[in-house]
Amino acid sequence: MLDWTIVVPAFLTAAVEWVEAFTIVLAVSLSIGWRAAGGAALTALVALAAMTGATGGVLGLGLDIRWLQLGIGVFLLLFGIRWLAKAVARGAGLKDLHDEAHEFAETRAQLARGDWTASWLIAFKGVLLEGLEVWLVVVAFGLHARSWVSSGAGALAALLIVVAAGLVIRAPLRRVPENAIKFAVGAMITAFGSFWTLEAVGGAAAWPWGDSSLLGLAAFYAAGGLALMPLLRKRIVGALQ
Amino acid sequence: MSAFLKTLFGDARTVGVVAIITAAEGLLVASGQVDWAAYAIPACALAGIAWLATR
Repeated sequence: MLDWTIVVPAFLTAAVEWVEAFTIVLAVSLSIGWRAAGGAALTALVALAAMTGATGGVLGLGLDIRWLQLGIGVFLLLFGIRWLAKAVARGAGLKDLHDEAHEFAETRAQLARGDWTASWLIAFKGVLLEGLEVWLVVVAFGLHARSWVSSGAGALAALLIVVAAGLVIRAPLRRVPENAIKFAVGAMITAFGSFWTLEAVGGAAAWPWGDSSLLGLAAFYAAGGLALMPLLRKRIVGALQ
Repeated sequence: MSAFLKTLFGDARTVGVVAIITAAEGLLVASGQVDWAAYAIPACALAGIAWLATR
């Protein structure tokens, strides 16, 4: 049975990262061909799958659940806060929106200076680095909620959809609302991160509404992030005047 | 290697914000203010997000 509270954040996180990875692989494929670029991407995906299996196995071996919860919670906070802050900054106009076409052009320029091996490595490294955040979320949810199937299914479904869409379009996936997804995922992951770290430090009684507090936390971060955007925008306008 | 570490942990500012949040959790729990922690920690995290967004 799939746990949708795990599938959804895993799917959304993975979708954003796979879109970025696809842009890099697409750019590389124009230099060294689909077969080689796809091979590099597949090698990175195999490495990520091996990492997921290995970390899951090691961390699942008799570690105190509270330490595990604290460690995972801290990683989720690092990740969620970064994404939410970036999405808020972009929403407020403090940062440019992520542009897949620009990323594509940059990778192409980088490729023009390298040879076959350098191009293969760019595709491999691109997929590996983008996939690291997917790995983190899959391991975190899989370990804590014992939802390996749900977290893995979310990430895998996102991969299949992005690859299918990319193969049909054969261009950078520019229409994916990257910032909106990053904002929503940032709020969800920050909620999980703060919930688990405080529960690890203060015990289950730390959250007055138990597991339902997660929903309240996600809503609080989403509402807070939305409220921050106009406030920060006003600050820039004020500074410019 | 630095790209790997940055992807996993983020930059120094993000690490600093998360360190403050976890330290605040520890302090509130140690001082017996667990009831307040459920309200103070999300507020602290949101303040950190606001600060990071401007950097």
